[in-house]
Amino acid sequence: MKQNSLILICALWMLSSVLHAANFEVVVIQSPAAEDQSEGLSFAGIPTHPRRPVTKAAELALLESQPTFKAQGISTTLSIFNIDPTRDINAQLADFSPQQLLVLDIPRALMTPTVKALAKRNLVAVNVRHTELALRDTDCQPHVFHTIPSDRMYFDALGQFLIYRGWRKVLIVRGPQAIDEQRTGALIASLEKFGASVVDVREFTLSHHPDDRDQNKPEFLTGGASYDVVAVIDTDRDYGRYIQYSTRQPRPVVGDVGLTPRAWHPALERYGAPQLNQRYRDLVNVQSEMLGMTDAEFATWAAIKFVTNTLHSRHITADGIELGAIYRDPEGRIDLYKGTRGSFRTWNQQLRQPILIAAESAVIAVAPMPKFLHPKHFVDTLGLDQPESKCALK
Amino acid sequence: MRCDLMRSTLLATLVCWSITAAQAEVVVSHERSGDLIWMDRNGQMVERQKICNRPRGMAIKTASQRLFVACSDDNMVLEIQVSTRQIVRRFLDIPGPMSLALFADGERLLVSNEGFASATVIDLTNGDALARVSTGFEPDGVAISESTGHFFVASETNGLVHVFDMKSYAEVALIPTNLRPRRLALDESRGELWVSSEMGSRVEIFALQSFEKIDEIIFAPRGFRSEQLTPVDILLPTDHPHAYVALGSADNIVVIDRVTRKILDYVRVGRRAWGLARSVDGQLLYVLNGLSDDMTIIDLETNRPIRTVRTGLVPHAVLVTPQ
Repeated sequence: MKQNSLILICALWMLSSVLHAANFEVVVIQSPAAEDQSEGLSFAGIPTHPRRPVTKAAELALLESQPTFKAQGISTTLSIFNIDPTRDINAQLADFSPQQLLVLDIPRALMTPTVKALAKRNLVAVNVRHTELALRDTDCQPHVFHTIPSDRMYFDALGQFLIYRGWRKVLIVRGPQAIDEQRTGALIASLEKFGASVVDVREFTLSHHPDDRDQNKPEFLTGGASYDVVAVIDTDRDYGRYIQYSTRQPRPVVGDVGLTPRAWHPALERYGAPQLNQRYRDLVNVQSEMLGMTDAEFATWAAIKFVTNTLHSRHITADGIELGAIYRDPEGRIDLYKGTRGSFRTWNQQLRQPILIAAESAVIAVAPMPKFLHPKHFVDTLGLDQPESKCALK
Repeated sequence: MRCDLMRSTLLATLVCWSITAAQAEVVVSHERSGDLIWMDRNGQMVERQKICNRPRGMAIKTASQRLFVACSDDNMVLEIQVSTRQIVRRFLDIPGPMSLALFADGERLLVSNEGFASATVIDLTNGDALARVSTGFEPDGVAISESTGHFFVASETNGLVHVFDMKSYAEVALIPTNLRPRRLALDESRGELWVSSEMGSRVEIFALQSFEKIDEIIFAPRGFRSEQLTPVDILLPTDHPHAYVALGSADNIVVIDRVTRKILDYVRVGRRAWGLARSVDGQLLYVLNGLSDDMTIIDLETNRPIRTVRTGLVPHAVLVTPQ
């Protein structure tokens, strides 16, 4: 009996090896134990910025890739790997192979040890969550690719939009956290790159103490200055929610609230985006609201679709699909549903892509804005260009 | 007949007058305003006809002067008598119809079902669905090759052109393409299938017999990067050695020599050019500009735009209606 079933398994395996030239395996690496459970929620439990596990987006990408893979005789698997931050990370991550696409959906604190643990094994890992510039600049790593835009890509898009609209004088209001300070630096660099001027940078506080009212009340915080627009850096998207309609001068609010640069949006109405949004809503089975992929989900979807769109028989060896060869293929490409195909910048392994400038229920513009031209690549006015890159991979 | 019924009102009299004064020769479908605009040869509006939700692909049966319109958001295909512009039949429950093509027998209509990863063949004699074939995601362009007995459906998401037998409806081949294949055009005399790759910024040419890739055409109009070239409609007139391709976001159309496959000319048009048609006399090219809601008319003698006319909202397809 046992022997019979073994033969059967062998027969099935042989059959499947005939049908399937290779298997494409996606591993989403998470760490539920390390996640701050209150992330994305304000003090009263109000959702401020949704953060969902990215696995649904991975499922979606694999689902819509099926006809392409079927034509090439390729099977797919999706698995989730949970890192326990209390145990030795090197030991936990020892068994991955170059034929597995490792999608890193882990908190910032785990990024450095995880990236280190995955180094020097010809692996391919994709950062789908962290926008911090240093990860693709001074701290860039040969085995780490980035499908989520960098802060500089987001802010360059916003900077182009402000110049395009003639809103050149910018008052920056920022949060008190270290990450707010760091992102404010990126915003200022972007504004200066395109010729906008920073009128002032002011730090808000959540404190309601009377002594702090100049930093708490939006009317005071935005007073005593002349500006065309208020740019808010509030990574938690908590205090920032109160700034719109409360500025001292009647001015638009942009940045982390108000008009926001985003990688994806449920209201993008061109470039096939409605079909992609509909497939996502079908998959998560929510039809009643305007729901779309978060930027991290879109980055996950893109990490997988880049493989689907680039894969060629030359990438398949006896070991399986060589993901490093795909991710470094000069002909690598992805249909982003944003009007322009995407590809990786060789100097820092960042996925180049248009950025959407969006209000809550509408995409107002798609950057690069008209007349922001780059000598080599249409979207390379967004983010760090090759000459400014400090990444040593180039 | 319609004029007789409506002659009692001044407005109807004006409509009748305009119909008799300027016979429509061009028809444009509009995704957003949900209407057809009938125009004369020079783009002068003859009638704006509110028709359905999101009309997109169209096909015309010249012998009986019937126009078919895919109403994408109504899951419906309409059949319209060209001379009267009356709806004569509604084909219901056709999911997400996008592009249409007629079989030469005049009795079957091929419809791609955009959000439903399939294509439907409708029996026009009785309105039944003869077949529903599976495709990749987001099927768009369709084409029917009478010389080989195959029909083709492009899957945008999956970079595939599906080949089906027109009698058995069985899938006989899969043609891998570059990114986002949109529209298909046939050159039966040369045995070629042309496929526009919207995100691959090129047109690929495949052999109708072997399905092997023969060639590809890469574009380079002035002032645009490769990534901005997003070709959609392809026009291969049977009586003419040139090909015309609308370059989408690159705001140009391109004229190609079909023998040498060399690019002869670029013509600057409106924003996001995609729909193409040629006038009945072959002298004019109509180009729909999806983002500027207008249509550029090009003189094919000189390859120069001679007029731009306003359309409805988000023009999708343009057809001429030979009398």
